[in-house]
Amino acid sequence: MRANSPRGGRRDAVSAGKADLSVIGRRQPRLDGFDKVSGRSVFTDDIVLPGMLHGRILRSPHARARIVSIDTSKARALPGVKAVVTNADAPDLDFSDRQPLLAKGFVHYAGEEVAAVAATDPLIAEEALDLIEVQYEVLPAVTSLRKAMQPGATRLHDWAAGNVALTHEKDFGDPDAAFAASDLVITDEFRSPVQHNTLAELHVALADFSNPDKLHMYTPTQGAPMYQMALAKAFGLETSQVRIVYGNVGGAFTGRGRAKPHHFIAALLSRHAGKPVKIKATGDEEFIMFRGSGETHYRFRTGVSRDGKIRALEADVSFDAGAHAEWAMILWLPAPYLNWLYKVDAVRYKGRFVYTNTVPKGSHHGGIFGRLSAGWMQHLNNVAEELGMDPAEFHLRNAIDPGHHALDGSDFASCGLKECINRVVERSGWKDKHGKLPPYRGIGIGIGAQASGGKNAANDTSAAMLKVADDGVVTLYTGIPDMGQGSHTVMGMIAAEVLGVEPADIRIVAGDSDITPFDWGAFSQRGTFTTGNAVKAAAEDARDQLAATIAPLLGVATGDLVFARRRIHVRGEAPDGPGRSFSFREAMAKVFHGAEGRSVMGRGFFNSPRPSGSLAYSFGAQVAEVEVDPESGAVKVLKVTAAHDLGRALNPLAVEGQLDGQVFSGMSQVLYEECRMDGGQILNPSRLEYKLPRTYELPEVEYILVETIDPYGPFGAKEVGEGPIVVTMAAVANAVANAVGEMLPQIPMTPWRLLRVIRYRKKHAASAPGSRP
Amino acid sequence: MLLPDHDFIKPRSLAEGLAVLRDSPPGVRLLGGGTDVVFNMRCRLMTPATVLSLKDLPEIQGVAVLPDGSLRLGAASRLTDLIVEPVLRERHPALVKAFRAVASRHVRNLATLGGNLCLDTRCWFTNQTKEWRDTKGPCLKTGTDACHAIQGSPVCVALNNADSPPALIALDATVTLASCRGERTLPLADFYREDGIRHTVLAPDEILTAVTVPPTADRLVFRKETARQGMDFSYGTIAIRADSAGGRATRLRIVLGSLTTSPRQLTAAAERLAALGLGDEGLAAACATVRDALGPLTNLYSPAAYKRELARTLLRKAVTDLREMTA
Amino acid sequence: MKKGFITLTVNGDTCEVVVSSRHTLLDVLRGKLQLMGTKEGCTTGSCGVCTVNNGRGEAVLSCLTPALEWDGQAITTVEGLEHNGELAPIQQAFIDYHAVQCGFCTPGVLMSAQAILNATPAPTEDDINDGLAGVICRCTGHIKVKEAIRHAGEFAPRRKA
Repeated sequence: MRANSPRGGRRDAVSAGKADLSVIGRRQPRLDGFDKVSGRSVFTDDIVLPGMLHGRILRSPHARARIVSIDTSKARALPGVKAVVTNADAPDLDFSDRQPLLAKGFVHYAGEEVAAVAATDPLIAEEALDLIEVQYEVLPAVTSLRKAMQPGATRLHDWAAGNVALTHEKDFGDPDAAFAASDLVITDEFRSPVQHNTLAELHVALADFSNPDKLHMYTPTQGAPMYQMALAKAFGLETSQVRIVYGNVGGAFTGRGRAKPHHFIAALLSRHAGKPVKIKATGDEEFIMFRGSGETHYRFRTGVSRDGKIRALEADVSFDAGAHAEWAMILWLPAPYLNWLYKVDAVRYKGRFVYTNTVPKGSHHGGIFGRLSAGWMQHLNNVAEELGMDPAEFHLRNAIDPGHHALDGSDFASCGLKECINRVVERSGWKDKHGKLPPYRGIGIGIGAQASGGKNAANDTSAAMLKVADDGVVTLYTGIPDMGQGSHTVMGMIAAEVLGVEPADIRIVAGDSDITPFDWGAFSQRGTFTTGNAVKAAAEDARDQLAATIAPLLGVATGDLVFARRRIHVRGEAPDGPGRSFSFREAMAKVFHGAEGRSVMGRGFFNSPRPSGSLAYSFGAQVAEVEVDPESGAVKVLKVTAAHDLGRALNPLAVEGQLDGQVFSGMSQVLYEECRMDGGQILNPSRLEYKLPRTYELPEVEYILVETIDPYGPFGAKEVGEGPIVVTMAAVANAVANAVGEMLPQIPMTPWRLLRVIRYRKKHAASAPGSRP
Repeated sequence: MLLPDHDFIKPRSLAEGLAVLRDSPPGVRLLGGGTDVVFNMRCRLMTPATVLSLKDLPEIQGVAVLPDGSLRLGAASRLTDLIVEPVLRERHPALVKAFRAVASRHVRNLATLGGNLCLDTRCWFTNQTKEWRDTKGPCLKTGTDACHAIQGSPVCVALNNADSPPALIALDATVTLASCRGERTLPLADFYREDGIRHTVLAPDEILTAVTVPPTADRLVFRKETARQGMDFSYGTIAIRADSAGGRATRLRIVLGSLTTSPRQLTAAAERLAALGLGDEGLAAACATVRDALGPLTNLYSPAAYKRELARTLLRKAVTDLREMTA
Repeated sequence: MKKGFITLTVNGDTCEVVVSSRHTLLDVLRGKLQLMGTKEGCTTGSCGVCTVNNGRGEAVLSCLTPALEWDGQAITTVEGLEHNGELAPIQQAFIDYHAVQCGFCTPGVLMSAQAILNATPAPTEDDINDGLAGVICRCTGHIKVKEAIRHAGEFAPRRKA
């Protein structure tokens, strides 16, 4: 097989840590590249198990209704149908808090699961659905966030007065005093819509529960343990009786964090039928099965002194939870975020999770922070303008420094925020452009931060194992999924660096919870940081075992050995000195075939020592330049200049790929993406009508990787998987606002929304509120 | 999800195909490249008992130059092939631009000219799966007398979203419709009806076999506005054909697409531009006629107010193109 | 006909398959021939993961074309780009230029890219944009995909089968 060699790309690293690294920092092509480009990579829908049945779900046509009766007899009688289930077949199976699996008595959103069938053929399954007779008594539904929060709105769940599922309020410092002490207090409102995760591989679950003692679930996931635990609890099993197989994951983008109804339904059907059952989304069913972002209303309030210092930050956020509060945890997320960027005297957060009769909501890539930033950063831009300050200067004036201890208790051992701001200001020509561009050309800046993993419980463990064969090939066992971000390749690079071998010498075994060691998974940007540290520890363990045999042979201490370039030698001596060094393979053979006969197996795990929160945060700043067509309202993104403090770029090639995808998605969410709602239904449930930009819309991009070498991350690395998209959204939003002359209170900034603003401003000239002079 | 059950017939000649239509009950679905029909069949919006494949019929392929200089385009010609046809590129570059505006190259490699001309009208209340439509409830197109797009509308207001009709109508193209009863030719402008359900005059036993573009020395410009270039139905399109020279035209034909149920001609705007010239004065007068020419618009895919504004924007931009082309 | 035999040549291999009028070309490739490289996505022609090449080396959406239209035709899928483990230039370019992340759309993107190169070995920016507009790659945002296509000519052609 010919060797892969990395090419292309644009990169300018600053402050790269001077360290003696031979693999880390290399532009490393994917270790599984061959399989992916040749069609060999197996995704869940490619798997066909013996006797496999096809499952389909019957969904409610009503946003809110009482189920009067369900008659499945005709469906059960259809030849080829092997199982039909309703809530009556699993009355105690709670899918989520107060949320039954399969509707019980009532349906709360159009699309909610009411029944399901498994049949020998997809066509028979489809026919069987038509034979299930459900009588509904339709009830008045509430399908928008605004209507749900109105006084006197219909109460959708008994336990939720005012349709509020949960609230979370948090003060840091004394906000009332800080606002009172401010010279200027500005308030702005903002809204973001329902948005989809835009993952490529549609939702699919293949469950084999034919053996009641073991549930095998083949499905793409961001983390096996949460799926295992949820399925085990639902079906009365021990966690280890549930196996998740997730070899290749076709994108996740925060869309595969928790198991979904179809997972449980596939398992239930399989238990009843005694055969494996596959359920997969059709193109538009994907827009019911997803758990993306819901409609969100924000009110931002900031108090500053005349000299530009931020005194108090406040955000009031109402989240549309959908019909069930599956993803309530997002409610907590904005509070700490407000603490991560600026030195402030006080922070206030008020949030609520509100029920509506729509698909349950979660989040999507960049979701919570990106959407918030698209509004918040425009708001802060307004604040800067009120002060007569350049926004970049405003950010710099208030940005945190390394060593900062925030009001919420977060610590920032490494922080390149100011460096990032300075670099993009310089690279983009900001000072020559801001305030000096022709009409309808805009330039905007945004900043952001992201936690590298975040601990909510005692355990945020990732574990790793590896074995070394006597031919020098290393097999690394890891539970972290690779959804495209390149986690497996980076783990291979970490192991290779420690053992002094090449990434090509590493084989990855992943994606099967029966085989791989524990790993919570790839979310909250914990992969590189937590799993990376675990892999490093496992590789060090293996290396130490090798050293323990080799060192005495050379008459040195184990610490005197150097593992590099596929050789082991003594520090200070020549790497290939005869009799004084070995190739890695020779050394392994000596160990295995020696008297002890040791088979080298390394193991390690990492759990953040912090009781809560994160050990490390990435930071970024971006400048976007856009052009708005004042006649059509269309926006063209011209250029995005991005600087990101990612600690260290373990694989700059993959980092560029991450930045590409995040710039693409960030601009997409601000300009194009929206599930357009009609009552409780999505009008555009397709890849055609749910708009993502394509090839013609891509801007010029330029990346600056700032390496602050974090003391806690593996080789100094921090996350880069979600930090950048948050910043892109802020930068693009500000650029469009700059082009048009005022804050846009809503995303996506579609042509019609922009035209409305442009026409209004033309009509009212300079007197429009909030406008630039 | 598989397609609904149906009988698939692939005739080897036009005559054979026409005989099938003659001998079958009405409702045979004609199939070009499949890029619209297969989609709609999968959604169960179309559930024909019989599908008649036309794309390989030898009699209706390719581009021919007729003795009088007209160009006859076979209806089964692929859009991909029309785009590279030398005589089209030479004589009607804006028409080629219109063909190229359709969807994506992937779609155009299958899609036929006839299929694009006969493209079913679109509405986001009907171009959905059966489950979705059952949730919303049926409408005029799917069997009741309700309209979800415009409450109380007596007629279906789904949009003609095809990109090739405006330019062809502007060029005074005619279409030939064949059946076992004979052949008839009519202007493409008269092929469409202001009805989202029976949106063309094609009879159940007819096949559209050719589009004929008369010779002309006039210029043609075409513009498409869409959410993103390269793969989209348009928010709006415009084609303007004019005998302009020196930035002035005495005769114009202006056709808007995708905003209404059938392509809409702006005759008043054309008259203003002919009378007052292609500059600011003529443009302002022309734009003032757009609202009445369009009448009530739907909020399908984009808001009505935006559509109206877009129509004026397209008019301004296309007239500017024309002026610069012939200055 | 509702059901019948078609003769299909896929990646150089000719076979006879029983298909129904209900099947699309994609159903035949995955369901009948077990060629799982080509993926099923939106099934409505806009995501492009089902893209294969027809006998002329052009990109076609296999989910939007009835199986019965392909009797006697030749098709290339992603499995047909390589020969026995030796990758085609565009495949190697995708690895080296990091045009692959999650890999789900990759077969469809590769066939679209190959179609661009089949039409012209030195595509312009517009050729690339037009040839790729029919397929979505969320992970890469198409950026490195375009770079890989621009540079595909740097890679030695694989030996003919």
